[in-house]
Amino acid sequence: MKNFDFLFWAYNVIWLGIGGYIVFLVLRLKAVSERLQRLEKSSGD
Amino acid sequence: MTSGQNRWTLALTALVLIAMFVAIWMVFQYVPNERVMGPVQKIFYFHVPAAMITFLSVFLLMASSITYLWTRNQRWDRISLASTEIGLMFCTLVLVTGPIWAKAAWGVWWTWEARLTTTLILWLLLAGCLMVRGYAQNQDLGARLASVLGVIAALDVVIVYKAVHWWRGQHPIVFKSGEKNPLAPEMYTTFMYCIGVFMALFLLMMILRVTVLALENRTQALAERRTGELS
Repeated sequence: MKNFDFLFWAYNVIWLGIGGYIVFLVLRLKAVSERLQRLEKSSGD
Repeated sequence: MTSGQNRWTLALTALVLIAMFVAIWMVFQYVPNERVMGPVQKIFYFHVPAAMITFLSVFLLMASSITYLWTRNQRWDRISLASTEIGLMFCTLVLVTGPIWAKAAWGVWWTWEARLTTTLILWLLLAGCLMVRGYAQNQDLGARLASVLGVIAALDVVIVYKAVHWWRGQHPIVFKSGEKNPLAPEMYTTFMYCIGVFMALFLLMMILRVTVLALENRTQALAERRTGELS
């Protein structure tokens, strides 16, 4: 396995990238939901 | 999105992230090394499921594109955009993991072999779908052009799949129709588990991306209405 350290790290980087994209989507969802709530609230005023 | 839906989404996200780490553990610790190729064969457990999800994304892209062109309902365009982005991401994964294996097995990172070339064309088509949306004069034109490209991408998927049969390239075929499963039980279990994780990832990404797009459209419409009222 020693000679294939690059393989292990390449895969971890790929998985971290995918995980990062999911976290980005969750955060984006939270931000848009909050913005929409604010807009709806101010429209109701 | 309601707080109940938020909780479900967060729970699914946590579950998928844990499943991803279990998949890494299984690939590098649980499954034995292949006799001929050694550890580099472990790429198979991520490369093949990533290719399967790419195909699934593109077929969803085709179905949503045709439905959008037929109905002009924005909901289908959102699904089309989400499946393009996710398909492009998994196709990138296929094109990154493939050369890592190819360097060890064939001695070169890349060769203009039929399946590799048609997969690269698929990547370019998916990137093109996103680019026409960005460069089109208006949103509707961009959506229509992307839908047409999406259908062409689906045709390319058929060529990618059949390429090794039609042109007898170097790309290996692990599961041949009518033949016995060649994998050892641990390898097969890990492979099936990885397919499950990639399916869950795809589902989660689709839910999140489509929801974000829907909320962004609603926010934009509301903000435009507010600006109109104020001016």
